[in-house]
Amino acid sequence: MAGAQTNRLGNGGLIDRSEPLNFRFDGKTFSGFQGDTLASALIANGVKLVGRSFKYHRPRGILTAGSEEPNALVELRTGARREPNTKATTAELYEGLEAASQNRWPSLRFDVMSVNQLFAPIFVAGFYYKTFMWPAKFWEAIYEPAIRRAAGLGRAAGVADPDHYDKAWAHCDVLIAGSGPAGLAAALAAGRSGARVILCEEDFAFGGRLLSDGGTIDGLPAAEWLSRTLAELAAMPDVRIMTRTTLFGVYDGGTYGALERVNDHLPSPPEHQVRQRMWRIVAKRCVVAAGALERPIVFAGNDTPGVTMASAMRTYVGRYAAAPAKRIALFTNNEDGWRTVETALGAGLQIAAVIDARPDVSPAHRSLASKGGFPVLHGSVTGVDGGKDGVKKIAVSLTGGARAEVEADGLAVSGGWNPAVGLTSYHRGRPKWRDDIAAFVPDGAPPGMVAAGAANGDFGLGICLAQGFAAGAAAAHHAGHNGKAGTAPVADDEAFSLTPLWHVTGKGKAFVDYQHDVTASDIELAQREGFESVEHLKRYTTLGMATDQGKTSNVAGLAIMAAVTGKSIPETGTTIYRPPYVPVAIGAFAGHHRDETFHATRLTPSHHWAAEQGAVFVDTGLWKRAQWYPRAGEKDWLESVTREVKAVRSGVGFCDVSTLGKIDVLGPDAGAFLDRVYINTFSNLAVGKARYGLMLREDGIVYDDGTTSRLAEDHYFLTTTTAKAGLVMQHLEFCRQVLFPELDVQLTSVSDQWAQFSIAGPKTRDLLKEIVDPTEDLSNEGFPFMGAREVALRGGIKARLFRISFSGEMAFEISVPARYGEAMARNLMLAGKPFGVTPYGTEALGVMRIEKGHIAGPELSGTTTAADLGLGKMMSTKKDFIGRVMAGREALAAPDRQVVVGIKPTDRARRLRSGAHIIPKGQTPGPGNDQGYVTSVCFSPTSDQWIGLALVERGRERIGEIVHAHDPIRGEDYDVELCNPVFYDPDGGRQRG
Amino acid sequence: MAEFSWDVRSPLDRVLAVGRYGAHGDAGVTLTEIRNFDLVQVMARRGKTAELAKAAKVRFGVAAPETPKAVGTADATLIWSGPDQFFILSKGRKHAMAALAPLRAGSASLSDQSHARVLIAVSGAKARAMLAKMSSIDLHPSVFAVGAAAATSMDHTSVTLWRGNDQADGQAVFNVLVFATFAESLWHTMLDSAAEYGVVVGHSEDLA
Amino acid sequence: MRIVCPFCGERELGEFTYLGDAKPVRPAADAGEEAVYDYVYLRDNVAGVMSENWYHGGGCRAWLKVTRNTLTHEISAVEPAAGAGAAKVGA
Repeated sequence: MAGAQTNRLGNGGLIDRSEPLNFRFDGKTFSGFQGDTLASALIANGVKLVGRSFKYHRPRGILTAGSEEPNALVELRTGARREPNTKATTAELYEGLEAASQNRWPSLRFDVMSVNQLFAPIFVAGFYYKTFMWPAKFWEAIYEPAIRRAAGLGRAAGVADPDHYDKAWAHCDVLIAGSGPAGLAAALAAGRSGARVILCEEDFAFGGRLLSDGGTIDGLPAAEWLSRTLAELAAMPDVRIMTRTTLFGVYDGGTYGALERVNDHLPSPPEHQVRQRMWRIVAKRCVVAAGALERPIVFAGNDTPGVTMASAMRTYVGRYAAAPAKRIALFTNNEDGWRTVETALGAGLQIAAVIDARPDVSPAHRSLASKGGFPVLHGSVTGVDGGKDGVKKIAVSLTGGARAEVEADGLAVSGGWNPAVGLTSYHRGRPKWRDDIAAFVPDGAPPGMVAAGAANGDFGLGICLAQGFAAGAAAAHHAGHNGKAGTAPVADDEAFSLTPLWHVTGKGKAFVDYQHDVTASDIELAQREGFESVEHLKRYTTLGMATDQGKTSNVAGLAIMAAVTGKSIPETGTTIYRPPYVPVAIGAFAGHHRDETFHATRLTPSHHWAAEQGAVFVDTGLWKRAQWYPRAGEKDWLESVTREVKAVRSGVGFCDVSTLGKIDVLGPDAGAFLDRVYINTFSNLAVGKARYGLMLREDGIVYDDGTTSRLAEDHYFLTTTTAKAGLVMQHLEFCRQVLFPELDVQLTSVSDQWAQFSIAGPKTRDLLKEIVDPTEDLSNEGFPFMGAREVALRGGIKARLFRISFSGEMAFEISVPARYGEAMARNLMLAGKPFGVTPYGTEALGVMRIEKGHIAGPELSGTTTAADLGLGKMMSTKKDFIGRVMAGREALAAPDRQVVVGIKPTDRARRLRSGAHIIPKGQTPGPGNDQGYVTSVCFSPTSDQWIGLALVERGRERIGEIVHAHDPIRGEDYDVELCNPVFYDPDGGRQRG
Repeated sequence: MAEFSWDVRSPLDRVLAVGRYGAHGDAGVTLTEIRNFDLVQVMARRGKTAELAKAAKVRFGVAAPETPKAVGTADATLIWSGPDQFFILSKGRKHAMAALAPLRAGSASLSDQSHARVLIAVSGAKARAMLAKMSSIDLHPSVFAVGAAAATSMDHTSVTLWRGNDQADGQAVFNVLVFATFAESLWHTMLDSAAEYGVVVGHSEDLA
Repeated sequence: MRIVCPFCGERELGEFTYLGDAKPVRPAADAGEEAVYDYVYLRDNVAGVMSENWYHGGGCRAWLKVTRNTLTHEISAVEPAAGAGAAKVGA
């Protein structure tokens, strides 16, 4: 049974007491209510100690009530859903929630690593830089693992996240960040004006500080105004208000990033639902009403559990009916802090004392003190007694020098308020200093964005409403909507007076950045060591570099640096603000794009047929291609591939080559166009013929190759390699639209229109005769090598037939409209049955092209010229083409270039591997004598040994030379002979036969 | 002599399971594949935009779209696919490649795309919410009205998207033409995106 | 970033591919090696407004000339390439 909620107030709060929830923290069962956060529920149960700090393992409690929390980080959930560094202050309570404290061993109350505190003097700023420098190799082996074990945050789950995430786009006229008074007023004005509005609220409830502080708006209690306003907004069809959604960044062109925690408040997402959704919001205007964050004051012991921000104390008492303490002291330098006293007294809690750093306290507050029976001490807190059990005694230094002690179990601190200047500053904006509130406020913003209310440094309820409303109306107007916005909601402004106080000197550690354990003395040390610039300060001390990005610490850090350097705070300046505003899970950025759906997949027209045949598929770019077709009894891929090659060379086989890029090049200037993009000539290609073409980049290096056929006077059918299909299309469009706009040519991709199969082997014609209409002449005379034309197939459909060969065998490629692709595969099996037809995959295709010495991807490496590939003679000298001039440069035509050559091992039994370096025989391998490398290898069934292609210096002049192959990665060294790259049928008789 | 049968098989044939998918209850999204259609891409030749427009007007009785729009005629839909180019989507071979010689006649280049695309109609109360997960286009009725079209990308896949006539119940219909080899992949993404709203999956043999 | 395609309207960056400086003009066939070398390799590294080639490959496949400030990413003009669509260029 769950323990009693000892610190739950008897009434009040926005929790639903009719819905009790059980949860576990560090294995112990507690209870809370629907509407609690984990933090408020822990507070309601009297739990003060919730974590250990990063470096010193100091006991830590709950500092804030929002996403700025630096201390109360837990591992939420268990197993695959375990999520480290989750803020207890924003984690919503649900039935069965399990959380564990972090960074302690063996337990939170007894943490062995807290001995780090004894060594504290050595863990100062720059400690790692100074200590673990030498010897260098110790870093990876010893220092880093040890440091990571000792200092670290929570543990990741270590297994794949079982939940789904997605991404979505949204569009609006006016985007509003925050649903406090300013944000709601902005939404009202913009919505009434007729604008499309999206309002994002990070919390699970709308209202912002209205939920904690109440107030009176338009004569109504805040809660009533809030529910009326939300009802009005909900009734507007083009206004979308979203809870649990953090606007975390702004990007160019009015694009914003927001993270919606769709189902983080449940144990696991309901079926078919996502855990989180990443929104990309395109907005014409944006009103930032993200409020302000209360800032701590730096004093010794300010990290003791029970030290809480004054506004957070109000939130826990007012919104959650949970008392962080029963006898509360307040340390403030401003008027606003006193509201915590009012809230606490109203809830029946005791005030131990108010320590006010200002010289004067208003008469109203003085009378409140005398009515409440607590002293007002003018001075500052200099120390806190407590440790892991929380605040017990508070040491105060009074103005004038006397000392005092206050007994309390909680200390509320208010050092003033920092407007949330993140969003407005994300485009390298620098906020400006406002003396009256001693805080940075936005100074301009990315185009279309404006800050309103507390985010703009104007804290009063009345001015927040007025500014928000005006900003909402103006934003709608800018976006072209001028409906009647009506009048702004009205409220009084609270008084706000502040005497800046950042740091109280005293004995003991005074924390600036709680999460990274950066103290005031670390900053002073950084200054002494010359790291004065804020960017240096940040990196040297790691101030503001933790997961909270210094929301509670950055300004105090700057102020302390300013004090020790004698500069003003604005002179000291701020670091650059960068998104995201809160940590965003990588899973949310990935969304649907993980595992099998990491990227879009392309399937060939015969894919499902190949799958039925048991094909093994390989990913090539986006494609899934049949790699080989294993048969029962074959012991490995090599056996299958060897069988496929032999079947083709001795009989007939076919392979789906639909992945080649296919482009229709149309129009009267199609031939002239191709003459400019290929190194060889196409305008003189006869209709009904195909030709191999090579394209260069403008720098003279080979870009792509393929066969292009002329199907009509004004119609060429161009093919590209699989890998470059999209890029070649883009390149050709560039040539058409930018380089040669005078040519009348039209381009369109037909890659997906045609299912294309290569049919190869001496019995190819026998197979084709079965399937092609008998009236078609397939003889050497009727359909010569490099012929290309439409033919009729039996059964009444038309196909395109190309007599081209990549395998060196008698071969055709046949194209049918893609929806016939699967039928084509089945019919090729049927037609080829008498001839033992064998489907083959990309491996056999690769083996046969290496046997033939044909170049492919590994040789089209982005460094080779046409001449390097043995194709230099194709370069026309009678016309201009892309790459012509640069290809003629001295270095690209040098005689000692690495050129394609064949290789075979001197030991016939040896296996070759690509990547091995070619070194002259008898020399010690080194960069000075590296003469090239092995590009492609295969086991050649035809040669009955491994063979390969290599790029080797002057390779063609060195045929017959024995050289050394050096493969340091695999630790292999062996001799190979340089040979003619065409291993098979060098005369080409077979493909012409 | 073997008997060859030339079954036409849609790229979605193996994965499209007619019936319900995803969440139970009222289905928020209806996905319907339209299987048989003729699709021809028409690209004006240089300086021939006006001539092509005239030829199209003669043939279809309406002007071909010059901006991202889809124009319905009695027996075809003309869908903008880029500057000075459009698709002719029709059925029954009447406006198939072979029948379009008069359009060609020196003013345009034509390319048959009938097998190069898969056509999927997306409708239902949650169609816009589901499409927002794949498309960066603003589909709000005030922006993307009936007849609006876009050459765009969904889930990094090029598509042609246009809004057809509303259904009898007033629901919007969004038509997606996707490259055939990407279709199965995009289909899975569509199902994933729509699952939380509940999906009715179907196909229709012919263009409505 | 968003680019207003003159044919399609405003679209998100993901639909576009960047190529580079749009200022260099491909030299005539007889311009000589130095001119081509300039064209291929020599680029100004502009901190400020520059004119760039972008491809709307995820949309209408038009090449665009985009005037963009490399410091602020502000886009001040987008024009179609001379030969986009069926535009008639030259005599």
